[in-house]
Amino acid sequence: MNNVKIKSKNLNVYYGEKQALFDVNLDLNEKEVTALIGPSGCGKSTFIRCINRMNDVIDICKVSGNIEIDGVEINDKNLDVVSLRERVGMVFQKPNPFPKSIYDNISYGPKIHGKGETKSELDEIVENSLKKAALWEEVKDRLDEPGTGLSGGQQQRLCIARAISVNPEVILMDEPCSALDPIATAKIEELIDELKKTYTIVIVTHSMAQAVRVSQKTGFFHLGKLIEVGKTEKIFKNPDNKMTQDYITGRFG
Amino acid sequence: MTKEQRLKKRHNAEKRFRFYGLASIFFALLFVLILVHNIFSKGSSAFMKTAINVEVFYDKDLLELEPGASEEDILEADFFDITIESLLKVYPAKNMDEEDALIELFTTDAEIEIKKAFLNNKNLIGKKINLEITASDDIDQLHKGNYPRDLPEDRRRISNFQLEIYDVLVENKTITKNFNNYFFKNGDSRDPEIAGIGGALVGSFYSILICLLLAFPVAVLASIYLEEFAPKNKITDFIEININNLAAVPSIVYGLLALQILLATIQLPRSTPLVAGITLALMTLPRIIIPCRASLKAVPPSIREGALAVGASKFQSVFHHVVPLALPGTLSGTIIGLAQALGETAPLILIGMVAFVVDIPSTPIDPSSSLPVQVYLWSESAERGFVEKTSATIMMLLSFLIVMNFLAVYLRQKFEKRWN
Repeated sequence: MNNVKIKSKNLNVYYGEKQALFDVNLDLNEKEVTALIGPSGCGKSTFIRCINRMNDVIDICKVSGNIEIDGVEINDKNLDVVSLRERVGMVFQKPNPFPKSIYDNISYGPKIHGKGETKSELDEIVENSLKKAALWEEVKDRLDEPGTGLSGGQQQRLCIARAISVNPEVILMDEPCSALDPIATAKIEELIDELKKTYTIVIVTHSMAQAVRVSQKTGFFHLGKLIEVGKTEKIFKNPDNKMTQDYITGRFG
Repeated sequence: MTKEQRLKKRHNAEKRFRFYGLASIFFALLFVLILVHNIFSKGSSAFMKTAINVEVFYDKDLLELEPGASEEDILEADFFDITIESLLKVYPAKNMDEEDALIELFTTDAEIEIKKAFLNNKNLIGKKINLEITASDDIDQLHKGNYPRDLPEDRRRISNFQLEIYDVLVENKTITKNFNNYFFKNGDSRDPEIAGIGGALVGSFYSILICLLLAFPVAVLASIYLEEFAPKNKITDFIEININNLAAVPSIVYGLLALQILLATIQLPRSTPLVAGITLALMTLPRIIIPCRASLKAVPPSIREGALAVGASKFQSVFHHVVPLALPGTLSGTIIGLAQALGETAPLILIGMVAFVVDIPSTPIDPSSSLPVQVYLWSESAERGFVEKTSATIMMLLSFLIVMNFLAVYLRQKFEKRWN
């Protein structure tokens, strides 16, 4: 069992009057893939958006409780979200490359954080990031073409490369394959398997099969509550909770 | 109703709608056509001017100039006598009245034209040269076919004697039509044949430039702040409503505001492009903010999230990603706002730009006219020559507007980034 990387304690999230998360206590292990499953609107995405404080963008969103990364509280007003997001990267549901060249998509993050002072350093970061995202071979001859011109699967890998480019410790993935076809999905899953050697990964998914394939740990959310969490094998073979059982066998959701 | 009947009814409804749509477009085009035809048929002749070929003798004694006289001496010299001498040689006049009638065929600026020709070539002293002297407004209109010559003489501005001279000139081919450079380079004048839109062009240019310099940065920064940084609450809602209302305030109200504040209180110089520019900037500001905010809003939130997620600050995500993407829309909104400002008349009349200004302004704080005000001024003038000048000025104004609007469309299409 790996060390705990991220720890949430009594996490509550409100969108205005509506409460989206109720007292979530969840530990995420280092260099492991944790899958979060549950029906739509159950709070999975809300949870991972707390880890890189993306909920700050939403005016009406209020977060209370604690989230610690390596034992340091991050749900703190005085914390610099810029350096937090440098450590916690994110990949979104819909591929969202910048409408710029492939090279600029990757080099943007390192540039704003002052990594890669020289052109050759930047070139290296771009190449390494694309290699890690298993995209290098496909795009190495057209780095100056717009990232938006790639196929959906390639765009998503470009976004993963973009997240990797600033050398984060954690990568959050919010349904990264929901807009992709099965072949592109398979590629991303292979990639996740490879990436977990270096990064702590949290993936939100609607596909139970995907959760089984890629994750070591699974958390099941329902109506804003964390119902059950445990080793993926256990959750899918022998869940403790009746609701989890019903969900994974497709009786609701 | 059977299924067939219902289907038929649906198809008929669609056909009717298409017909109404086509009919509306046809009507709209018809009106545009009528407008354009009206303006072109009246205005196109203003780009030509009528001139009469005159042999000018730069008589040393009449001019009281020596060869090699300095520029100052020439400027001070009296060209009136040689002008009269030269013009009278065009046709034999029997008495003083006929001489006056003959001289009336030429522009009142004939002396200046003869002087200018001399300034261009100072070796002309004691020599003869053929010059194209601009004809008077009445002859100009007659030659262009805009003047009815079959009226009885007492209701005509051109006497029978003058018509006689005109016919001889036409026969000798000494009367010609040339490109009317006066129309573009001269300022306003009481005499239509030498009146031009030079002053109005420069005045409009300065006004729009000042309007752009003031309105663009303020509007862009206000839009970026409101759209990206301001919290969404009752105050910002209130500001938004007010901006929309300001965009709909009649322009004359801005004129009154400028009259009270800029002229009466701050005492800025009256009738100047400076005041016009500030007034137009006030008016244009909300009209730029609205499209500006719309184009910022059109940038998908996923781009902002993408930037934030790699650790860009709010400021960086806005200025590195959102603003560049919104720029084409912003620019085209600005250009369309400026195009509206260019055609604005009412506020300029209130700040005194309606004054009769002959000189072409050299700075934005010189009294000046502007294109739409020039149209207004000339449309009220009685002389026939101003009818074509009015339409020609409208043509110029319209072509500027069309160029600006095309530029706006071009910028938007060229630089607009697409994403899926």
